[in-house]
Amino acid sequence: MKNVTITLICVLFVPLIGFSQNKDSALSKKELRKNRPTYRGISLLGLGVGSFRDFATSPLIYSGLSLSSSRFQIAIDKHRETEWGSSLTIGLFGNSFNDHTSSSIVISPAIYYSELYELRQLSGDKLNVKVGGLLSITSNIRINEGLLNNATGFELIPTLFGSIKGTLDVSRKTERTKKFLFFKYKLDKRKKSLALRLNTGLVNSSYRNGYVYSGQSFLLNDPQLFDDYQFKVFSGFRMSSSLDYTLYSRKTTNAVQISYVWDAYKTGGNLDKFEMAQHALRFTLLFNTK
Amino acid sequence: MRKLFILVLTIVPFLVSCETALFEEDLATTDANANFEYLWNECNEKYSYFELKGIDWDAVKTEYSAMLFEDMTQDSLFNVLGGMLTELRDDHTNLISNFNISFFGTQYLGQDNYYGRLIEDNYLAQSFYISGPFAHDFLDDGQIGYVRFASFPGTVDDTNLDFVLDRYKDTKGLILDLRENGGGAVSDIFKILSRFVEEKTLTHYSRIKNGPGRNDFSEAEPVYVSPSNGIRYTNKVIMLIDRGTYSAGSFTALATKALPNIVLIGDTTGGGLGLPNGGQLPNGWTYRFSITQALTLDKRPDFEDGVPPDIEVLFDFNDLTRDEVLDRAILELQ
Repeated sequence: MKNVTITLICVLFVPLIGFSQNKDSALSKKELRKNRPTYRGISLLGLGVGSFRDFATSPLIYSGLSLSSSRFQIAIDKHRETEWGSSLTIGLFGNSFNDHTSSSIVISPAIYYSELYELRQLSGDKLNVKVGGLLSITSNIRINEGLLNNATGFELIPTLFGSIKGTLDVSRKTERTKKFLFFKYKLDKRKKSLALRLNTGLVNSSYRNGYVYSGQSFLLNDPQLFDDYQFKVFSGFRMSSSLDYTLYSRKTTNAVQISYVWDAYKTGGNLDKFEMAQHALRFTLLFNTK
Repeated sequence: MRKLFILVLTIVPFLVSCETALFEEDLATTDANANFEYLWNECNEKYSYFELKGIDWDAVKTEYSAMLFEDMTQDSLFNVLGGMLTELRDDHTNLISNFNISFFGTQYLGQDNYYGRLIEDNYLAQSFYISGPFAHDFLDDGQIGYVRFASFPGTVDDTNLDFVLDRYKDTKGLILDLRENGGGAVSDIFKILSRFVEEKTLTHYSRIKNGPGRNDFSEAEPVYVSPSNGIRYTNKVIMLIDRGTYSAGSFTALATKALPNIVLIGDTTGGGLGLPNGGQLPNGWTYRFSITQALTLDKRPDFEDGVPPDIEVLFDFNDLTRDEVLDRAILELQ
């Protein structure tokens, strides 16, 4: 726990260093923005595992598998990175304990926007470090028939993160010949990168049900979708990370990316906390548009 | 690629440790005391009718916790927890396992007041109509319409209601039989009642638990019924009720107290005017209990113990050719 705390403190303060540095580029900001390479990323089949618990309805942890797809646009160069996108994750989670099994379908749409700036003090030819922020809004629609009138649950988790991203150039600069058993093969020059991004929630908000979870609007002959919900601006904690291995095409400017994405959060307060964690492996096609 | 593997091997354990720190401990347990405490506390902080029913929930805890013992079977634990919930005298309160379901049984607070086959044999033609959830036909030489509504399935629609009410538009009165109607979808209540009002009418109030104190409730919110744009019935309506008229059935009966053209005949309803809230125990069983209160126009929760009829009539099982409750309704409309 002590290590986690130290890491969090570092992540929180690193963005301040990034924003305070001087920029001495020969190109104007407008020219830099105009020339920044832009990619569209499409991931159609991400595989994930995860778990959640909603104390409002159950003290039990539900675990399961999920499939996800995502779509994003990223404008990136060594000085700045702007990304926005959306994802949809559908999972089947269950709890089996004491000969009782219950399951929950969880549908999680999310949108996000991120800005990162180079941290020159830590950047070099091989390693590029950027810091900045990420605004993410994740929602969960949960269906658990066993909970009767509480069968459908919903929460919205908006988070403003402080982010740090390190990108390592692992390109193969020269051709190499290798041998596997009796087979010889040649490895061509290849542009590749390995990036690790860590996000820590600075403003963790939640939009959740009220005290008894159910609302009474339909008893009032005035049904409302988010009946008795409460928005809490500072509530809980969230962390997420992604590890991206990007392999650029030899013939085009496109790329493929394999990512391991982790996201974990909990809402705050003493009552009816919600906890969720997801690990996902994603395969993304990156199309260079500029 | 080797660097990637090294990174993964370093990061994943770190993230998993973060996750472990983030999540609270796993509370799954079959321990009798832990499950008892959890259920008692959930009710203690969220159940809505302790005061009205004069239930000393602390005394209930003392009484039932004394029944727990080490290594008790699941069946024995179920009987203790289920027994504790039946102290709430509420059929919106159940403990549900995969081998038993606990219940109170408000219908047993009064005698059986309905015998469906008798009505079919002695009052209706064999060719009675079935329009969605409504079974209906003419009575008393076509002067009265009889509509049997056995549950609130959530499927009541304008087509059903327009057809039924159009068929009986020229009758002197309509009998809506809600005896042994155990309830269901609340939306059906308002669809039906909207056919019997000519202007927006305040029928009752509702409030919901919003804190752990036993009297922590939201403000009483008004409940209105507005007239439907479809066919409306303006002549006298008799609604038949009994102890088996529960939940949405009781809500309907409660609302009629504000509608002068509807008269309740039969026995007191079973109550069930609180919205049941579902949850799960640490051992995987599920439970539900009421978390709201429906209030009368003078903002009292008294009808949770049953909505009384305007005219009390009980079925006589010594004569299985007549339905005394239905006969009284026909008499009222003649």
